[in-house]
Amino acid sequence: MELYRLTATELSRMIHNKEVSSTEVTQSVFARIAEKEPEIEAYVTLNEEAALKKAAEVDEKIAKGDNLPKLAGIPIGIKDNMCTKGLRTTCSSKMLGNFVPPYNATVIEKLNAEDYVCLGKLNMDEFAMGSSTETSFFKKTKNPFDTTRVPGGSSGGSAAAVASGEAVVALGSDTGGSIRQPASFCGVVGLKPTYGSVSRFGLVAFASSLDQIGPFGRSVEDVAMLYSAICGKDPYDTTSIRREYPRFEEQLSSDVKGLRIGIPDVYFGDGVTEEVRTLVMNAAHEYEKMGAVLVPVTLPKPDYALAAYYIIACAEASSNLARFDGVKYGYRTENYKNLEELYENTRSEGFGEEVKRRIMLGTYVLSSGYYDAYYKKAKFTQKLMQETFRKAFTEADVILSPTAPDTAFKFGENSEDQVKMYMNDILTVTVNIVGVPAISVPCGFDSKNMPVGLQLIGDKFSEQRLLNTAYAYEKQIGGFDLSRALAHSADIPQKG
Amino acid sequence: MDTKGYEIIVGLEVHCELNTKTKIYCSCRNAFGAEVNSQCCPICMGMPGTLPTLNEKVVDYAVKMGYALGCTINPISKQDRKNYFYPDLPKAYQISQFDIPLCENGHLDILVDGKEKRIGVTRIHIEEDAGKLIHDDSFSGTLVDFNRCGVPLIEIVSEPDLRSSAEAKAYLDTIREIVIYLGISDGKMQEGSIRCDINVSVRKPGQPLGTRVEMKNVNTFSGAVRAIEYEAARQIEVLENGGTISQETRRWDDLKNCNFLLRSKEDAQDYRYFPEPDLSTIVLDEEHLAELKASIPELPNKKVVRYMTTMAIPEEDARLLVESVEKAAYFEEIVASGTIVPKNAANWVLVGISRVINETGKSIAEIGIPAARMAELIEMLEKKEISSSAGNTVFEEMLHSDRSPKEIVKEKGLAQVSDNSVLQAIVDQVLAANQKSVDDYRGGKTNALGFLVGQCMKASKGKGNPAIMREMLLKALEG
Amino acid sequence: MDMDIKRLAKLAKLKFTPEEEEKYAAQMANIVAMVEKLPDLDASGPLIDPDNPMEMRKDEVVSRYTRDELVANAPEVQAGCIVVPKTVSE
Repeated sequence: MELYRLTATELSRMIHNKEVSSTEVTQSVFARIAEKEPEIEAYVTLNEEAALKKAAEVDEKIAKGDNLPKLAGIPIGIKDNMCTKGLRTTCSSKMLGNFVPPYNATVIEKLNAEDYVCLGKLNMDEFAMGSSTETSFFKKTKNPFDTTRVPGGSSGGSAAAVASGEAVVALGSDTGGSIRQPASFCGVVGLKPTYGSVSRFGLVAFASSLDQIGPFGRSVEDVAMLYSAICGKDPYDTTSIRREYPRFEEQLSSDVKGLRIGIPDVYFGDGVTEEVRTLVMNAAHEYEKMGAVLVPVTLPKPDYALAAYYIIACAEASSNLARFDGVKYGYRTENYKNLEELYENTRSEGFGEEVKRRIMLGTYVLSSGYYDAYYKKAKFTQKLMQETFRKAFTEADVILSPTAPDTAFKFGENSEDQVKMYMNDILTVTVNIVGVPAISVPCGFDSKNMPVGLQLIGDKFSEQRLLNTAYAYEKQIGGFDLSRALAHSADIPQKG
Repeated sequence: MDTKGYEIIVGLEVHCELNTKTKIYCSCRNAFGAEVNSQCCPICMGMPGTLPTLNEKVVDYAVKMGYALGCTINPISKQDRKNYFYPDLPKAYQISQFDIPLCENGHLDILVDGKEKRIGVTRIHIEEDAGKLIHDDSFSGTLVDFNRCGVPLIEIVSEPDLRSSAEAKAYLDTIREIVIYLGISDGKMQEGSIRCDINVSVRKPGQPLGTRVEMKNVNTFSGAVRAIEYEAARQIEVLENGGTISQETRRWDDLKNCNFLLRSKEDAQDYRYFPEPDLSTIVLDEEHLAELKASIPELPNKKVVRYMTTMAIPEEDARLLVESVEKAAYFEEIVASGTIVPKNAANWVLVGISRVINETGKSIAEIGIPAARMAELIEMLEKKEISSSAGNTVFEEMLHSDRSPKEIVKEKGLAQVSDNSVLQAIVDQVLAANQKSVDDYRGGKTNALGFLVGQCMKASKGKGNPAIMREMLLKALEG
Repeated sequence: MDMDIKRLAKLAKLKFTPEEEEKYAAQMANIVAMVEKLPDLDASGPLIDPDNPMEMRKDEVVSRYTRDELVANAPEVQAGCIVVPKTVSE
């Protein structure tokens, strides 16, 4: 049996029942990594030795009869922007190429409390700025369904690893679609939780008011289980919200009878390919078959959200990334004679182009004389969007749309035209601007045989309903088809 | 200084370090003088992914200062980022407050030349301190110590209401006394607990405000006085020579006793303030604010004026009493415990008690004389029941015994004799025994009287009322 | 659009060659054209969100890190301090 192909839910049951050991599972995943990694390049840093040591510890505890949490012994991949004590954390940037944090992100502390096994750190767009993982300083992660295509981004490593069996589940982060779009491109499930439900402590900040950590999995139940482990109020993050957070996977229900599913016209408009539109609407009709009701909802044009998103995100990023100055940690230029040169050369050499572009844009929108016209206006636009969504959620229980306008594109296809690249986020950024949760679920393949994702958006803290809705669809279609991504390289038919 | 008819206009931005146990945004100890980089953590060192959490005591302390200065407290306020690069600022932004400070629109009454003057306080906000740069010729570079990063500060911004260096000094002294009274800061100048930036402009009376120049890096109050005088003189000279003042920032050099240009208006910093997204909104409930308001004691500047106006205490004594919270409280308790002249109570606190404090290093509580007993002693003196020298003897005895002044007087037989028949007998006896002095006096050597009074005191073993005996002597000598 | 790339670069502590400056100016112009698509709305008044009151931290000391751990990532350390080129103190 190839353990790496199984879901976390199955593996958890098997480990607890002593049908398999965590060591066997971990070895299986590392064997899969050894097989696929040369081709996929999902990881920046592998953690094999420590992972096997941890797995052995878990096995010992299980042998002793300890009652362990669900994720005990499950091998999980971590996006490389979450700080892991003693394990290099790079944000896929030259700037942090040698940074080893002396602390853990809160999500890592929470996973440690569940006795998880850390596989390593997953590749991403540099500082999470990008939609293709091409801006990584270290490597280009490939889409497991077609290695000439991007995995999406910025959590491309996470999505590709989960899709290809190089991780059972993984954590990513989503600032403007960075979990949902790669999930969509790689045919896996990805949840962007409500802003404030998962602690950001230890997540290297891109845009503080939009960033949110979330889970990737090959099934809705896996995503629910991983989300349950990481959510909750954190005293170290004042923006995290205190409330009751259930074990979501224990309350999954596939009953969608009477559920009002909102269909926003503007999210099916220009830029969305005919194939994507059709596949997503097919999924909507599956819901109708299950007893849900499709209702039209009016939402503002996503262009507003996209504009507000890039202003707010870049403004915050320009400030968040100012600390990378060659003084306390990370890269320091060798070429300087004074402080000014130390700063300018370190930052110019240490950051990639996309990061510099966004720092420049952020500096511009905050600078004297432009603040009101850009930053402030964007924040008021955000308030307006929040208001509109509040209204929309009185008419619909969930909103359904494509996750991305098209399926995975080829390497280099969008890298010269930033605006075209940014349009990839047009259907996902609104969710971050509004602060609500959304999940991307695979809903078939287009004519290029690439996965298409459908996005379900819910009101704040409606994760259970979103997960249930996604679960219902998964049951209805008999599970998601990852067979090609999970197959052995030799078994994949060569494309003609 | 000769102001050549110009009026000097001064506004102050005072930064005061709060004495909370921990830093403003992390749980590191807020301590001065520790070994370099020993009071730090990933948060105050600005490591990637770390987030600030606001210390509730910092807000409480700032609000207390706000109430003390009669400010409006904003029950809903926020924090903002001030962005600039410098090695002592690890995040490359300072978390401060921009457009909605905790406290606004207050005032501070200062005492100059015996008169109160009200100085407007624009705002008080909270922010974090930066680290320290160590310059040492034995190193080729500059060393950075992050211990001070995240030490909580309040910044108190005044209106340009000050008109001289003396007023500025009085303002700073008063601020310092108040923070010490409130227990929110050590007010230790030598540790840099209070620092200020100074805005100076000059104008001919009646003219609109002149262009202001900001001076940074003023770390002592005496430095503030010199810095203001230096800058005002510089501006006056420029104007007198037909020049104009440009809006600029200058750096005060306390050693060289002069300032020099740091940056002109053209290269003014663009701090790109925006709301700190890592911290949610500060919301203060009414009940908590009411508690903070109720906790504000009478302030030292107000006490001084009250002592002067309602108790006839001279300004200098009033200031000395108020300097220490304990002395002022003790003084007031003594006054309240008996029907005595407050000035006498003040003298005992400032002389007798202060001497013991200085000699023994004890606090008033440790000295242990109840205020009521001090009042009893003072009352006996005022009623001439004991002489002043006996008063001193009683006081010394009170330091070592638990008996009341009355008991001590009785036991030691120190009561002053005011019985006329007894005194008259002593006077008659002294006159008879000192014929030479009597003759001297009558011959015009009036200082013989003092000698005779002394002889009377001696004869009464120090218990005779010297004033009455003096009257009796005079009557006999002149009559 | 009147974007002063040189001034912005100085503020952001970045350095560009003249060719890069030109390229950035063109790219930024496109991006700014995109982000200018904001709705016409009244953006006066303060930016504050009273619906998210903060839970503040108790004033209690926690010390968990050694100096060695904290400066371990620094490029240059002397006498327990991080070293930067000589500054003109401000």
